[in-house]
Amino acid sequence: MKLYRVIAVSRRVFRDLANDKRSMAMLFLAPIFAMCVFGIAFSGDVEDVNVIIVNQDQGYTPPLGNTTYLSQNIISNLDTGVLNIQNMNNVDEARQKVADGSASAVIIFPDNFTQNAMIGTKNPSSGSTAEIIIQGDDTITNIKNAILKTVSDALADTMSDEGVNPALKIKSEPIYGQDAEFIDFFVPGILAFVVYLLTTILTLITFVGERANGTLERVLASPVTEGEVVTGYAITFGTLGILQVALLLVIAILVFNIIVVGNVLLAFLAVAILAVTCQALGILLSSLAKRPEQAIQFFPFVVLPAFLLSGVFWPLQAIPEWLRPFSYLVPPTYAVEACRAVMLKGWGLEKIWPDLAALVLFAILFLGLAVWSLKRGKK
Amino acid sequence: MTKDDEKVIETIKLTKRFGNFIAVNNLDLKVKKGEIYGLLGPNGAGKTTLIKMLCNILNPSTGGARVLGEQIPDGNIVSHIGYMPQETGVYMGLTVDQNLKFYGRVFNLDKNEIEKRKDELLKFVALEDWKHEMVENLSGGMKHRVSLACTLIHQPELLFLDEPTVGVDPELRVSFWDYFYQLRQKGVTILITTHYMDEARNCDRIGFMQHGHLIAEDTPLKLLEESGKDSLEDAFLVYSRHDKNKVGE
Repeated sequence: MKLYRVIAVSRRVFRDLANDKRSMAMLFLAPIFAMCVFGIAFSGDVEDVNVIIVNQDQGYTPPLGNTTYLSQNIISNLDTGVLNIQNMNNVDEARQKVADGSASAVIIFPDNFTQNAMIGTKNPSSGSTAEIIIQGDDTITNIKNAILKTVSDALADTMSDEGVNPALKIKSEPIYGQDAEFIDFFVPGILAFVVYLLTTILTLITFVGERANGTLERVLASPVTEGEVVTGYAITFGTLGILQVALLLVIAILVFNIIVVGNVLLAFLAVAILAVTCQALGILLSSLAKRPEQAIQFFPFVVLPAFLLSGVFWPLQAIPEWLRPFSYLVPPTYAVEACRAVMLKGWGLEKIWPDLAALVLFAILFLGLAVWSLKRGKK
Repeated sequence: MTKDDEKVIETIKLTKRFGNFIAVNNLDLKVKKGEIYGLLGPNGAGKTTLIKMLCNILNPSTGGARVLGEQIPDGNIVSHIGYMPQETGVYMGLTVDQNLKFYGRVFNLDKNEIEKRKDELLKFVALEDWKHEMVENLSGGMKHRVSLACTLIHQPELLFLDEPTVGVDPELRVSFWDYFYQLRQKGVTILITTHYMDEARNCDRIGFMQHGHLIAEDTPLKLLEESGKDSLEDAFLVYSRHDKNKVGE
């Protein structure tokens, strides 16, 4: 392998892309667009859920005291950013609103709510329990969970305001991810995902073009070897991967104010190895397509496994257990894991090396297969 | 690499199969140094496959060949050969200048040499005014001219030209042939395929190819004489019928 030939191929690929404004836009503007759209639209935070409160609470009047309404305190503690609250008196009418789809749930405070709560608190042996009844459309679990959490938080705040100390409670103290939001989880994933997607697709299309235009044949009839072609492509796309990630990170930090606690150079490294793997995958896939139109048919096979299995949009734990082994056959999984660990937890090389090692193994495997596919074309 | 009297190309029962299809069938071909050898035949006759095997792009199924004295497939010969593919083989997304520079670099020419060769070749293919134009914006004939210039950048001693004059206007075709003769005088050997029968008369020798093998081979004049025809197209048809009869016997 001669370095000057590898550099010639690499420069040529880079020049080819730089000359083409559409390719450059695809490489640099498309990821920014994707990150902004996903980051804003798919933030994971549920807001503006219509709920109806039917408050039948009669309150509790202690001997020689004023009547208190715990329900009202709870309602005033509900997060109105999450819930759009409408008050009604009739349970059946409120349920009809849910049935019609104009509300997601009815939150009912029964007439003896405060009374049961007070008696139960003062005299635990009485067995008195106060219940908030939530009747809702449980078809969208995100919304259901958001309602339950909001009511539960309001309940906890009210109990704290009233000076009631529950016997059992959970305290959440983050070791990593203090004040982390969905976008912080999402950005490291999208970095790896866009590099995977764009590098694979761009190499696939470029290489099908190389085959159709006869340039690949001409190059292989020159002193350039198959290995030099693949290495030249790898250098270009590895470098472009780093540039893409650098640009995305700057925007993510400036626009979304994301958390970066670790050494971003390690994230660059993970993504660069991923890009090298992906360009080899693109070359490999290109051997199955004769024309660019045929290459487009591979897109779903490129996009879907990474989209669904690599943990970009949801954690691997959210993937069915039987499907999870397949996640580890998709290279972006390791890059997503490594980027997240570096950026959110500040992990160093000593902890993320298994992910990097897996990426390197994939890179070696795919580079080898790409060279093999080019050599196989001679037979 | 070769002496004057040596065969630059010599194939012995060279065969290429793609599945059940035999593209090149037991082909014996000899091309001498400094000769312009034309391969003529219909589409699918095996001309391009033969060239690809001789250029190291395809491996033969059986049989063998020596190119510039080396048994193919052999990576050592590629620095000395120039291959112009039918599909132009130039980068559409690069300018004419960038294409020439790239091919110069892969053949390890230094900067000054690349610049010198580039100027000479751009003048020869009459694309000096287009050197900073993207190849994708050029006409079909111009693309072929860029392709030829890229093939010649490293001054190869053996040229494989697959349909080099397709889409090139008649005037320029004449100048191409003038240039081929100049190269021949310098000892360059050229194996060329063409569909233009009148153009084939310019070759020193012609091989008529059909079904993967040679059905006749000689100088254009002798082929015309022996077939009793005035054009190479008619001569080809005579030999083609003769070959079919032979197969039928």
